[in-house]
Amino acid sequence: MIGRSMEALVLMLAIAAAALFAFFVSGFATWPNLSNLAQNSASLMILSCGMAMVIMTRGLDLSQIAVMTAASTAFGVLLTGGHGVGSALVAALATAVVLGILNGWLVAYFEIPSLLATLATAMLITGGIRWGLLQGEFLVLLPKDDPFIVAISSGRILGVPLSAVIALGILAVTGFILSRTIVGRTIYSMGDNIGAARLTGLPVRAVTLVTYVFAAIAALIAGIVVASSSGAVDFRTVTNGTLLFEVIMVVVLGGVSLRGGRGSILSIIAGVFLIAVLRNGMTLMNLSTQLQGLIMGMTLITAIVIDNHRNPRDPETETQGDL
Amino acid sequence: MIRLKKAGALMGAALITALVALAPGNPAHAADDRMKGKKVIFVPIAMGITLTEGWSRRMAEQAELFGIEYEVRDAAFDMKAMSELFAAAINEKPDLIVAHNPTVQLLARQIKKAEDSGIKVMQLNLSSLQNSTAFVGADWDRIGREVAEDIVKQCGEGSGKSGKVAIVPGQLTAADSVIMNEAAFAVFKEHPEIEVVSNQASDWEPEKARQITATVLQQHPDLCAVFGHWGVHTIGAGNAVKDAGKQDDVLVYATGGGNRLICNNIEQDVIDRYWSYNADGQGRDAATMMRVILQGAEPKDGEMLRVDSPLIVITKENYSPSMCWDMPS
Repeated sequence: MIGRSMEALVLMLAIAAAALFAFFVSGFATWPNLSNLAQNSASLMILSCGMAMVIMTRGLDLSQIAVMTAASTAFGVLLTGGHGVGSALVAALATAVVLGILNGWLVAYFEIPSLLATLATAMLITGGIRWGLLQGEFLVLLPKDDPFIVAISSGRILGVPLSAVIALGILAVTGFILSRTIVGRTIYSMGDNIGAARLTGLPVRAVTLVTYVFAAIAALIAGIVVASSSGAVDFRTVTNGTLLFEVIMVVVLGGVSLRGGRGSILSIIAGVFLIAVLRNGMTLMNLSTQLQGLIMGMTLITAIVIDNHRNPRDPETETQGDL
Repeated sequence: MIRLKKAGALMGAALITALVALAPGNPAHAADDRMKGKKVIFVPIAMGITLTEGWSRRMAEQAELFGIEYEVRDAAFDMKAMSELFAAAINEKPDLIVAHNPTVQLLARQIKKAEDSGIKVMQLNLSSLQNSTAFVGADWDRIGREVAEDIVKQCGEGSGKSGKVAIVPGQLTAADSVIMNEAAFAVFKEHPEIEVVSNQASDWEPEKARQITATVLQQHPDLCAVFGHWGVHTIGAGNAVKDAGKQDDVLVYATGGGNRLICNNIEQDVIDRYWSYNADGQGRDAATMMRVILQGAEPKDGEMLRVDSPLIVITKENYSPSMCWDMPS
């Protein structure tokens, strides 16, 4: 109920912002711009699906952008090295799954707080891949004439960008897992009261592992979408970028509580919609990057304050290391 | 006979000159000795970029040749770490610090502190607000002006184009972006038909540059040119133009060190015009300046020793692979 009301609030805000931009900003309310908005927010939507699932279990994956970059680096290095798309994708998937298992294993079996575990793995992955795979480089350029890359970056299905269709597919899978499977129900139970979930015999550790692997696979898919569009895998997305910040903002804004147990795919849709509309409108208004960052930061603080107010810390169910 | 004597005398003189030149204590060797054992610390924004790798390779070569102790402190794109690394470098009291400023403000105070404590600072390609002993790098004012003049020629009066331009800087406070924007806007001011419809920083990231350009292209389908301040992020902007099928309508301008990784994008229709300052050549210039400073060269009060890098403009029309350089593996 609480989550839903947050979603409704955010959706209303997004609709209000879109109406304002449509009225005052030329070029906003056009089909090409809305199509562009969908394409630009596809990677954010995909990443948010993975992050939301982790946060719902009371976790947090600070390594998600590092995993995204590492897996897409593996894909890019193999593709530019003359390997086929199939083998490059398999290697990238294996990289993502291994890193997801590492995160899940540290959190579920070693019981290291997710904040610390994923912060450490983010540093490990960034350094390791840059040193081992890129030999100190920070950029991999993809062959933009490869049919797979062309399809992802500029392909369309019924006029909708393929990257947006992929994002909707991941969203549907996330919705299915959360609402129709035992894993989904366990995720909500863990977020609500992890101690009770454990006592009732729910497979808490296995599900934790599944959520981090899912987040890693989502990161891989987002990474391939980003790299195909921009033509490059850029390691600075991890070290300098604001993408992780935006993903957490989307998830929290939409009503997925940082205390876990709340939220749905509607939360992700609401959060992505608001951020995508704000970002697109501010770009069309030619606002400086600093001012855009300021507005986004204020939006996140507002969301966290509202989240804190609506979902106060519960001393009975909180555990050490909770956010 | 007289000729033979003269020839003999000349040969003798040449031999004596050569022996004098080779003898210990001659001026050339004295210069070498003045450099031996001196310490140079290079603090780049990040290694792993062809720019910094290219510069460092040349400085390291010369340092080894002349017995100079040369070290690199890699900030790896972490601005806080860069400031700390620079402070640590000052504490080590080297003879020269080579600074690669990410913004005009970040290291300004520390550069002053280093110079005040007798440590020479050479600023490489990106300058700060603070003057120091030397600057080696691109003439950003010239690049900004030349690019803007070319945009006026291609998009301005009589071109039949809209005159709309999108600028995609790296960071609005980075030295190259500040200077190039000032120079470009000064040119555009004289040409009211040119309209800068967007001037948003990409944080040097190709994906951000792509998203900005893709959005601007929707709002201004008649956009005439994109001026990306650095080749690496401009790849993203160029791909947005290419994905929109507008590579024949929108000119994509970029600048950079001319390494093949980026330079090749001209051939692939991602970048149209590229102002190259040849990072390999800059590395040689930086190494030469390093040696000159270690031999005791001083600028006049308040001025800097300055070497502006030669520029080449690579376009689709004049492009040949030999215009790009390769980092040896």
